[in-house]
Amino acid sequence: MGARRAKGGWGAAVPQNTALEVNPLSDRPGIRVHGEISEVTRPSWERALTELSRHHQDVSYLELSEVAFVDVAGVTALAVTAMDLADGRFVIEAPPPQLSRVLELFWPDLDRIEVTSG
Amino acid sequence: MTSETTDGAFVHPALFYRDEHEYVRRTAAFLTEGRAHGEPMAVAVPGPNLELIRTALGADAEGILFLDMTEAGRNPGRIIPRVLRGFADAHPGGRVRIIGEPVWAGRSETEYPACAQHEALINAAFEGRAVTILCPYDETALTPEVLADARATHPLVMDGDGRQEASDAYDWRAVVDRYNQPLVRPADASAFSFGGQDLPKVRHYAVARASELGAAGARLMDLELAVAELTTNSVVHGGGSGTLAVWTEPGRLVCEVHDGGRLPDPLAGRRPPEPGQIGGRGLMLVHYVTDLVRLHTTAEGTTVRFYLDL
Repeated sequence: MGARRAKGGWGAAVPQNTALEVNPLSDRPGIRVHGEISEVTRPSWERALTELSRHHQDVSYLELSEVAFVDVAGVTALAVTAMDLADGRFVIEAPPPQLSRVLELFWPDLDRIEVTSG
Repeated sequence: MTSETTDGAFVHPALFYRDEHEYVRRTAAFLTEGRAHGEPMAVAVPGPNLELIRTALGADAEGILFLDMTEAGRNPGRIIPRVLRGFADAHPGGRVRIIGEPVWAGRSETEYPACAQHEALINAAFEGRAVTILCPYDETALTPEVLADARATHPLVMDGDGRQEASDAYDWRAVVDRYNQPLVRPADASAFSFGGQDLPKVRHYAVARASELGAAGARLMDLELAVAELTTNSVVHGGGSGTLAVWTEPGRLVCEVHDGGRLPDPLAGRRPPEPGQIGGRGLMLVHYVTDLVRLHTTAEGTTVRFYLDL
C-alpha cells in the first residue's frame, strides 16, 4: 500500500506488502483469515501457518470463509505445514473451492488436513 | 556393463499395427511376458482398444490397471506425471510395464504437436529407470508424418508380426524442437498486460472474460488456478511482466500468457515433486486441470496457451 518500488526486474516485481488479515478464533484454537492467498500475500500466509503450528495441539482450526482465492503455493504451504505437525490435524473450514481441488490433485491421502464446508 | 545396468534400463518401443488382429496379438503378448516376470502392469489406450485388450486377456486381465487414454491423457501434457510416473512411482523396486497409446487418428492438428512432444519427452523422463513402455501406432489410420515422428521418438520399433529393431531415426530432441512452434493469437482476442502489482487484477480479468465467454463452475475455478500459476511464473521467472489473452474457438475456451522469459527445461511441469517439496507444481497444475497445453519458448520469450473444453 503506497510503498515505493522499482517496476520490472527479475523476481523483484511482486509487491510483498499486501497482508492477509489473520485473527485468532475466540472459541477454539486457530485462526480466521480474510483476503486472497496468492503470491502477493504469501509471506503473511506462511507467517500465519508457522505461528499456528507453533501453538498447535491436537486440532487447530482455520476458518477460511472470507478467503476468496488460494493458489497452488498457498495450498502447498498448508499441506507441508500439516505434514510436519508432530500430531493431530488442521481442520479447514469453508475454504475457497481451489483448496480441495489442489489437495486432491497433489495430496489425495493427507489425513492431517480435514476440510469442512461450514 | 553389468547386468544391473541392463536391468535398470528404460525400454521404449513403438508398435506399428495394421489391424485389430495385430493389435491384440502384440499387446497381449507384451502383457503375458510381463505377467511371467511378475511385473506390475498398466494399459492406457483409447476406450475401444482397451476393450479389445481386456477381452483378449480374459481372466489374465486381473491385476492390470486399465485407463481410457482419451480421458486420462486428454491433455498429453499430463500423461508423464499423472499416468506413467504415477503408476511407475507407485510400484518402486522392480520393472513396471505399461502400454501407452497417446496418439490416435482423432487427435486434432492443435493437439498433435503436444502429443509428439510428449512422446519425445518420455525418453528424458524415464532415462535410467526400470520401466518398459510400449506405444501402439495405427499404421493404417495415422499420417506418414505422424509415423515418421514415432520413429524419432522411440529408440525401438516393432512391426505387427513382433519383429523388433532399433530405430535408425531415433532423435527425440529434434521432435521437441520441431513442435516448439510459434503460437499466433487472434487479433480480436481480449488481452491484458500485467506486472507484479497486477497479479490479482489480471486473474480477476481472466475470470470475468472467461465467464462472459461461457465458462462456469469447476471449469472457471480451474481457469483461475491456471491463470494464477502462469501469471505468477511470468512475474517471478519470466522477466517481471507479461500479457494474458482470452478468446474462444468452437467448443472451447483458449487462454494464453506470454512473457519475456525462456523455459529452458523441456520437462518443466512433468516431474512429480516429492510430497514435502515446496515448489514445482505450478505448470503441472496447468497440465492437470486443462484439456490441452501448447507451449512456445525461445530466447525472446515464452507463450503458454491452454484450452478448456466448454
